[in-house]
Amino acid sequence: MNAGLPELTPGMLVAGAVTAAAASLWLLLPRGTESRLARWLGLVLGAAAISGFIVTGRRLGGLGEEAVFLTVSLVAVVSGAATIVTRSPVYSAIWFALALSGVAGVLLVLGAQFLGVATIVVYAGAILVMFLFVLMLAQPSGLASYDRVSNEPLLSAVAGAVLLGLLSLSIGRMSADPTCCAVPAKAAAVSDAGAAATAVAADPLAADQVARLGGELFGRHLLAVEVAGVLLLVALIGAIAVVARGEAALEDDRRFFEGGVRR
Amino acid sequence: MTPLVAATSTALLQNALVVGAMLFALGLVGILTRRNLIVMFLSAELMLQGISVSLVAWSRHHGDFGGHVLVIFVLTVAACEAAVALVFVLQAFARTGRLDVAAWQALREATLARSVDHALPASDAEPQRWPRLSTAGVLPPGAEEPSLEREHV
Repeated sequence: MNAGLPELTPGMLVAGAVTAAAASLWLLLPRGTESRLARWLGLVLGAAAISGFIVTGRRLGGLGEEAVFLTVSLVAVVSGAATIVTRSPVYSAIWFALALSGVAGVLLVLGAQFLGVATIVVYAGAILVMFLFVLMLAQPSGLASYDRVSNEPLLSAVAGAVLLGLLSLSIGRMSADPTCCAVPAKAAAVSDAGAAATAVAADPLAADQVARLGGELFGRHLLAVEVAGVLLLVALIGAIAVVARGEAALEDDRRFFEGGVRR
Repeated sequence: MTPLVAATSTALLQNALVVGAMLFALGLVGILTRRNLIVMFLSAELMLQGISVSLVAWSRHHGDFGGHVLVIFVLTVAACEAAVALVFVLQAFARTGRLDVAAWQALREATLARSVDHALPASDAEPQRWPRLSTAGVLPPGAEEPSLEREHV
């Protein structure tokens, strides 16, 4: 190392990466002006930020594992960024679908088979299609003015970058602190067969994962499932009740939005 | 299925947590700064995705199903949220003709000033050219070519 230059620590790398990420987001977010230079500069800075995070990330042990994890997380993060910077909301929704497939890949790498598939089916298959329906119903032709400007893009990008920097620094410190995320050695400590069976039943990576997840959900968390069912029913009834208020309420609301006065 | 990485790998936990933090921060920036209501809700869903990744990473690290079960409830609540939120978005569109979050400033406090948009320069985005299918068969009598084309989506 050169004596005149301070050594490049992971903390400095993270700081540089989040600074580049904030600048990139600010350049890419809609600000009313459209310049080719800002777009390219934003893309280059975004690539630099992502490379910084890849360099500071920890190695997983094997080239195949790293390649798979890197691919799916890159898909998730890059399409997530494209979701928030794209002008057109329809393209936003499509980028979000791609981000969802990346997230599903990350969940599969983490061993959550059911959740990876459920993310695709429930989010991309149901919720996102609902968003697209609403967009096609409500989107005026052409780019609206509110799609071409943002509220305080610089401040928001800085806020997001500061949050990301603090989170990744504290996540990076976890490996230095042996007490922070130690796993209780339950599988090693058990000796009798019943306790060993309990350990297998709780392990997400053993065989029959989906069946045991269902057992856990409908056994230990049965009350929460019932409450979630009630919540779905309430949301359904609430949505219908808001729609079915009638024409008089619509007229009243129109007057309110125009003049800012409630009758 | 054999796991791709060893079960108690702290490196996998840390990397997945950073990915979750990135998704959360991106969603935060989106919901703070974008003005289209639909894009704001997409950003909120992006934040939920970041949370899901973190929860499953911890679940994997600790070797139990707690995180998985929480993510299932996150999915449920997200579905409810989307249903109710889209109803409000559609109702607001029916009243104002805009998907702009600033249309809701009629709800502000009486002492706050109304925010005014600055004039925007003209967009230099080129109109999109959509592929067209050749007409098959005969148009029924009385029907004209419908012009449902949009310049942009």
